[in-house]
Amino acid sequence: MGPVELLHMSVFSQSFSPCGRFLAAGNNYGEIALFSLSAALSPEATELNQKPILTFTAHEGPVFSLLSSDSQLLSAGNGEISAWSWNELTKKNVKPLWTKRPNYKSSLEIPEINSMAINPRDNSLVFGGGDNNIHILDLEHGVFKSVLQGHSDYIHCVNVREREGEILSGGEDGTVRMWDSRTGQSIHRIEVYKYESCARPQYGKWISCLTTDSDWMLCGGGPSMSLWHLRSLSPTSIFPLSGCQRQAAFVQDMILAVGEGAFVSHCLLGGEVKAQIPCTPQSLNTLQLNTNSTEHRVLTVGGSSNHIDVFTNLSYRAFSLSF
Amino acid sequence: MSPSLFNFTDAKDKFTASARHAVAGKAIKPLLNSFNQIPGNETEKKTTLDQALRSVLGDQIVEQKASCDDYLSLIYLSIQAVTEGICSATTPFQLLGDILDCLPLDLCDRIFSFVEENVSTWKSNSFYTAGKNYLLRMCNDLLRRLSKSQNTVFCGRIQLFLARLFPLSEKSGLNLQSQFNLDNVTVFNKNEQESTLGQKHTEEKEDGMEEGEMGEEEAPAPCSIPIDYNLYRKFWTLQDYFRNPLQCFDKFFWMTFLKFSDETLAVFKSYKLDDMQASKRKMEELRASSGEHVYFAKFLTSEKLMDLQLSDSNFRRHILVQYLILFQYLKGQVKFKSSSCVLNDDQTAWIEETTKLVYQLLKETPPDGDKFANMVEHILNTEENWNSWKNEGCPSFVKERTVDDKSKRPSRKRQAPEDFLGKGPDRKIFMGNDELTRLWNLNPDNMEACKSDNRSVDQKSREFMPSLDEFFAEAIEQADPVNMVEEEYKVVRNPNYGWRALRLLSRRSPHFFQPTNQKFKSLADYLDSMVSKLAKELPKDIPSEEIKTGEEDDDDNGDNLLKDSNDSPSIQSKLVTNQQMDDIATKLGAQWKTLAPFLEMKAVELREIETDSEDVEMQAKLLLVAWQDREGTQATVESLATALNAAGFSQIADGLSEA
Repeated sequence: MGPVELLHMSVFSQSFSPCGRFLAAGNNYGEIALFSLSAALSPEATELNQKPILTFTAHEGPVFSLLSSDSQLLSAGNGEISAWSWNELTKKNVKPLWTKRPNYKSSLEIPEINSMAINPRDNSLVFGGGDNNIHILDLEHGVFKSVLQGHSDYIHCVNVREREGEILSGGEDGTVRMWDSRTGQSIHRIEVYKYESCARPQYGKWISCLTTDSDWMLCGGGPSMSLWHLRSLSPTSIFPLSGCQRQAAFVQDMILAVGEGAFVSHCLLGGEVKAQIPCTPQSLNTLQLNTNSTEHRVLTVGGSSNHIDVFTNLSYRAFSLSF
Repeated sequence: MSPSLFNFTDAKDKFTASARHAVAGKAIKPLLNSFNQIPGNETEKKTTLDQALRSVLGDQIVEQKASCDDYLSLIYLSIQAVTEGICSATTPFQLLGDILDCLPLDLCDRIFSFVEENVSTWKSNSFYTAGKNYLLRMCNDLLRRLSKSQNTVFCGRIQLFLARLFPLSEKSGLNLQSQFNLDNVTVFNKNEQESTLGQKHTEEKEDGMEEGEMGEEEAPAPCSIPIDYNLYRKFWTLQDYFRNPLQCFDKFFWMTFLKFSDETLAVFKSYKLDDMQASKRKMEELRASSGEHVYFAKFLTSEKLMDLQLSDSNFRRHILVQYLILFQYLKGQVKFKSSSCVLNDDQTAWIEETTKLVYQLLKETPPDGDKFANMVEHILNTEENWNSWKNEGCPSFVKERTVDDKSKRPSRKRQAPEDFLGKGPDRKIFMGNDELTRLWNLNPDNMEACKSDNRSVDQKSREFMPSLDEFFAEAIEQADPVNMVEEEYKVVRNPNYGWRALRLLSRRSPHFFQPTNQKFKSLADYLDSMVSKLAKELPKDIPSEEIKTGEEDDDDNGDNLLKDSNDSPSIQSKLVTNQQMDDIATKLGAQWKTLAPFLEMKAVELREIETDSEDVEMQAKLLLVAWQDREGTQATVESLATALNAAGFSQIADGLSEA
């Protein structure tokens, strides 16, 4: 990979292995790189340990979403989903377990898949993308169970409310919809841009980040990032972050958000921004916290650069992994 | 009857017994009594008493039944004895030394408190000279026994006591050579073998191999949190530079220091600390319960603590202040720095930049960051004074009373003006400088000069501001392309002329104030344009020659005013010629010295003339030449004749006038 390609690389997705010792990252060239966290974090780590142990081309188009189940790594490319065994990957075997493609209505365009989530209740994979629909794939049997239609524009992000088994989706049309996975019906629809407190017409109405922990939901994008109480479906706090947030996460009693701007924002639940920690990439696309392992419990962020910043302590950047 | 002999053993026994009594009774009387009773010489008795007291103490210690108070009362007794004059002044100190040597540390603590309390006694005249060395030795012995990290407070007390006892300039307490404590090494885990985390827990490893787990050859040592080894190592390596700042002058070490510092300070910058109001309350509760501050003499450098240390504001302040102290040393003038220890420009620039960053970080560090930063800055500024004190070799601060000199009237180094002004042969005013004298004497009376309207050529009338046409006439003529004057010769190029021209224009010409869009590259160009404007306005039929002869208003002549060039032939008196001077010199001969004062020659010049030549005629000639040089155009026959007449050489004067 030449220097020009490296310059134009963007990291769109990340996922930690179930054991927590490896990080998989997907970029805009369709490649997935595997990094060994244990080697990078060890006392005798060198520059070499910050390079991937394995890089392979997974899809033709950019890898917008990566997800790990108990033993598999699922990656979404141009209209298709591939599954890889983590075991095999660590042994540098890059043959996918399976690749599936849902039935798209038109065969002319191949819609990209933007986001995936696993519904643990019925072991199904929920994903949405460019065709404005949410597809559900049964992971056990490998068949596409249903299609949830309702959004009028492409879907940016999906998430699953574990306790209730509901699916949340946010899209370009500015709505956040809640679906019942069994009936396939849309239960609620929130038009975030219609709420004056969050609306930012200068940025648009699209929702690019959505995360939930059953009672609360964080959503942001064109409108300001806001914390919603799902029972009452009302916004409780608005976060005064400039730029559009692309991914957010609940960490302990804080909210971490990344988006436009070369920093990770730490926010308190009340709505104030506590800190903004500078990072290498100029704008960030993805944020992941490694909850699978305590000794490798790091925060990694990636964005419009071939570097992935690793934070051992949430308040400063320790080092960077690079493609 | 011979005086009774002094029996040492006897005396000693008696003293010992009475000392014991005195200690028991806590009064000095028994001792005084026995001292007075025993026959013998003062010195002998004193030394015997010393011995006796020491043996009493020795017995007390050996018996081990005595308590601290008993020891202290014995010492107190000895102090009293010294005051009474029955015991030599060194005894209390020797006793103290003995006690501290023989007791365990916790008891030493109490004895030392006694020493501390009586510091005023030790400083008093009778005790100080005798005892200071003993005290110093005693304290040093104690310090050697104590551990800096465990008995920090006791060590501190001893140091403070020494500081109070000795004056500031006491040489034994000073670090005269400005040396560094190179032993203060900060130990940290440099490689994985030393790491305390290196122990592998084998049983955990096996449990970890579950299904779906990645098998690895070497499972890393399990620790509960991820550790940034990179920062850890770089951070603690910095301490080595603070320990030995001279390393910074070496190029390679400096680069490493730079790199590591930049990284560390970047971490501090991005990791902003909260103002922990809530935790402050907890801290105060904690403090109240434990009762004492805990001080650490050395940094704790375990990797696991790194995160906690980074989030601690006190720790951060320590490091930042270390930086400031280091920078002050590197920049400062210390006499003992070798000549190779100089900073180059890059280093100085980096230090300036980083100092600003460090102060900013200090201000951001809660609580009360601003106040703390200001305080540190102030303290470091005062350090400069101490630094210069050290550079001077630590002089004593005691002001010695100086012997009163008779205050002399300051003698005049130079003559008062009234002494030399207006004392010349024709009431000339000597300004001390030839040129000034000439200028001043053009017309010594200022009022006359101001009133004079004289337009005769030899006497210049006063110059006033010229009119535009007069001043610019030459420039106008030069600007005329017919005359084909080359650019570089034009008078407008002369900066002097240009400046005067501007002044004149600002006073006289309305063109000066008209705004114009033209941009002029130089003054000369501007003047060219002004000259052309003026040329159109002014009457053109004034011939230039007339203007040129008018000496008063042509500025060129203004320059000449300062030059020695008034060579107009119609001068009233003639200048003395060389021939005339030769004649006079021959006639004067050795008597030239008599003439000298009338020619207003200074003694210095006379001496010069004497040394210049042996021949008296030559000397006379030199005198006259010197006079002529000084006078310049005023070196007239008349003035010389006047001087000769005044000196009594009227014949020579006549001879001169006739010629």
